[in-house]
Amino acid sequence: MNNLKLFKRQTVNELSTFYSFLIGFIIAIFIGSIILLIQDKSPIDTFSLMLRLSVGSINSLSASLNKAIPLILAGLGISIINSVKLWNIGAEGQIFLGAIAVNFIYINTQINSPSIHIFVLLVAGFVGGSLCILIPAITKVVFGVNEIITTLLTNYIVFGVTIFLINGPWKDPKSLNFPAAAYVGEEVFLPTIIGKLSFGFLICILFTILAHYLKNKSVFGFEMRIAGGSAMTAVYAGINAKQKAFIAMLIGGGFAGLAGAIELLSQTHRVSTGISQGFGYTAIIVAAITGMRPLGIFLVGSLFGALSIGGSVIQTIGVSAYIADIIQASTLFGALIIQFFFTYQIKKVEND
Amino acid sequence: MKQYILEAKNISKTFGNVKALENVNFYLRKGKIHGLLGENGAGKSSLMNILSGIYQPEKGSIFINNVKQKSLDPESASELGIGMVHQEFRLIESFSIEDNLTLSKSNIYQNNFKEAYEKYSEIFSLSVKPEKTISQLSVGEKQKIEIMKLIFKDSKIMLLDEPTAVLTPQETDQLRISLGTLSEEDEKTIVLISHKLKEIREFTEKVFVMKNGKMVAEELSTKDVTDDNLIELMMGNIQKSIIDKSNTAGDTKLSIKSLEYVDKVNNFKILDNINLEIKAGEIIGIAGVSGNGQVELANIISGIEVDYSGKILINNKDVSRRGVRSRKKLNLSYIPENRLGVGLAPGVSVLDNSIVRDYFKTRLGPHLSRSKTENYLESLINKFSIKAPNSKAEISTLSGGNMQKLLMGRELISNPEVIIASQPTRGLDVNAVEAIHNLLVEQRDKGSAILMISEDLDELFKLSNRIHVMFEGKIVKSFNIDDADINNVGLAMAGIVE
Ligand SMILES: Nc1ncnc2c1ncn2[C@@H]1O[C@H](COP(=O)(O)OP(=O)(O)OP(=O)(O)O)[C@@H](O)[C@H]1O
Ligand SMILES: [Mg+2]
Repeated sequence: MNNLKLFKRQTVNELSTFYSFLIGFIIAIFIGSIILLIQDKSPIDTFSLMLRLSVGSINSLSASLNKAIPLILAGLGISIINSVKLWNIGAEGQIFLGAIAVNFIYINTQINSPSIHIFVLLVAGFVGGSLCILIPAITKVVFGVNEIITTLLTNYIVFGVTIFLINGPWKDPKSLNFPAAAYVGEEVFLPTIIGKLSFGFLICILFTILAHYLKNKSVFGFEMRIAGGSAMTAVYAGINAKQKAFIAMLIGGGFAGLAGAIELLSQTHRVSTGISQGFGYTAIIVAAITGMRPLGIFLVGSLFGALSIGGSVIQTIGVSAYIADIIQASTLFGALIIQFFFTYQIKKVEND
Repeated sequence: MKQYILEAKNISKTFGNVKALENVNFYLRKGKIHGLLGENGAGKSSLMNILSGIYQPEKGSIFINNVKQKSLDPESASELGIGMVHQEFRLIESFSIEDNLTLSKSNIYQNNFKEAYEKYSEIFSLSVKPEKTISQLSVGEKQKIEIMKLIFKDSKIMLLDEPTAVLTPQETDQLRISLGTLSEEDEKTIVLISHKLKEIREFTEKVFVMKNGKMVAEELSTKDVTDDNLIELMMGNIQKSIIDKSNTAGDTKLSIKSLEYVDKVNNFKILDNINLEIKAGEIIGIAGVSGNGQVELANIISGIEVDYSGKILINNKDVSRRGVRSRKKLNLSYIPENRLGVGLAPGVSVLDNSIVRDYFKTRLGPHLSRSKTENYLESLINKFSIKAPNSKAEISTLSGGNMQKLLMGRELISNPEVIIASQPTRGLDVNAVEAIHNLLVEQRDKGSAILMISEDLDELFKLSNRIHVMFEGKIVKSFNIDDADINNVGLAMAGIVE
């Protein structure tokens, strides 16, 4: 009789994360195709339409990249926090609080130079994201409360605050029954660079480089790795592990808050529940697939942005937009399963 | 054929391009204690991991009770009665002793745990209640529980990977008696890995020697071989140096005045009025059974523990209220006894671990130069002959000895003025011990003031200019090396001073 058993591999291929992603993506396309076939749609037609409408022209490509901005920024934030081996499930809330902070500063300040105004509002978004993670950060470093739970909880709280603001104090009378805050003035809209591509994409590139530098090339990144590896070694080395965790969390939250600011200033132009369509959660998938590597997050985030644009346009031919979500989620599943095979090995065992 | 309970033939195993094992043979006789000797990185742990099914060999066959085993994994090895105690503890810290002992599904004392625990805690002279959680136990007690775990899951072949490395001399002696009882009364077959020839001689009947992944001596009868034979097999060459102590001491580099450290919870003095002075060019040895305040003393001098009273001066500068970093800036190095977990961060690369001491000196503002750190690691690897797969590899893929060399090298390369070395050679082979002793002496001659905490009396006598004996948080006796003799130091370690 033959039995299959699992063995841990001693050496793991360095590019394994990349291969896992690639194979995971192929598996996801395959699963998507089956679902399309069940619905009597041709997968080839559907996917080629998706491809054409998401990257086929300057306009569609810029729409895709605009969608990628919040995924990338929030994903980068998650990866920075993961350097100290902590998880940020609260990017969604941080995106919203970032946007709320932008609106708050917009309402309460008077700045004449538009470029300075925009700059101040972007900073406000970053600070808003940091504020959102402040309480989880404090409870983590002071009392050791699990950050997965607290950051998740802040999502619900911030969402509640958003609903309250847009139905109450900030409700725009002109929007009739639709709950939303008033639009911000055109002078603070983020400019576009090519086609519809928002200036936010340049910020996104800059922050990808920043995150890459911070994690991999800076003294702070090194200190975060040691603190994440062993709290005792950190103490021994004179590294304040709690301080590093605290700062990493504030920076990571700020990245997501900045995503909210860019979303408001370039897409929605007002605070509403539409500031984020689950970007903060998809960003967790993006960060996890890439093994928390900033450059990978940039690429996978862009791909996922294109996927969701592709998903929303194929609705026109009667295919549900959820096909894009299915592909995103299956990519993570596929990638995790493949990563498992890079880490473990299955062997046949003969029993006599 | 019949005589062996376990036979491993022609076992080969490679990791990347390291040949960890090459055509290794290994035989065990039922009810006997076997010694396994070999330098750091010789392949001892790898062989044990293969016998217990954790690693799969590329080549070779394993027979248990003369039955060929097609493939072993941890589960089937355990069913066949093979159990292993690893070099590092594998206990669940937050669980009780009882839970840890009964966790295995092959636990045979399901119904009569109490009696079994009583019986074996007597054999191991262990006097703690089974309800206690592991984290409350001393290192020696943990080691006993690790071994007892094998008995509870009915292991007939017990593979013990350096169990004595963490034990005090007394505990080691106790373990010798316990293992003797197990082999005689329960017919347990035991493998003991150790770097100490004395232990191999006292514990075992048969001895195997490994060198560079090969078995260079099989089944020698322990009583028929000499220490010189064994060392020659292990090393190829013997170099025992007599250290010149005629060095002259310079200015005082480290002084400790009326140091007191209290365990606030139990209102118990862990350190009581410690006064010490170390001059440039001197090695001061601290002798004592572990757990008498040595770890706390080292942590206080290095700045890790801050809640104490008394004064600490480095180069006549009062650093009592200063942190770890400013003490390092005054050029203090600390080699902690806990290598992986304190000195080195697990889960982090060799490269990152290599710069833990000096990164804040070589940094350029916020920038950490990759090429500079790589060069730094390379100079460590060359100067201290460290074997490491590559700079990105995770630190725990290094063998115990190579980890210690990396840690030592990192702490010594910048020529520190004051060195605290805690158990610097624990668990290392004779060659590595010699290398590390030479490094310390070389540092001494360069003018470092060295405080060496050790349980190894040979080491203390060999290197120290003075020996202080610690007992229950006090320095109970001090000896100039010329007036010291092993008996008096040993008595002082037991708290007997006339
Ligand atoms: N999981 C692993 N991955 C890569 N290399 C390994 C691994 N385990 C062991 N090695 C290498 O195999 C060789 C033998 O290591 P092993 O741990 O068996 O030595 P050892 O005799 O137990 O040494 P020590 O006395 O230092 O514990 C070493 O060069 C080590 O670096
Ligand atoms: Mg070993």
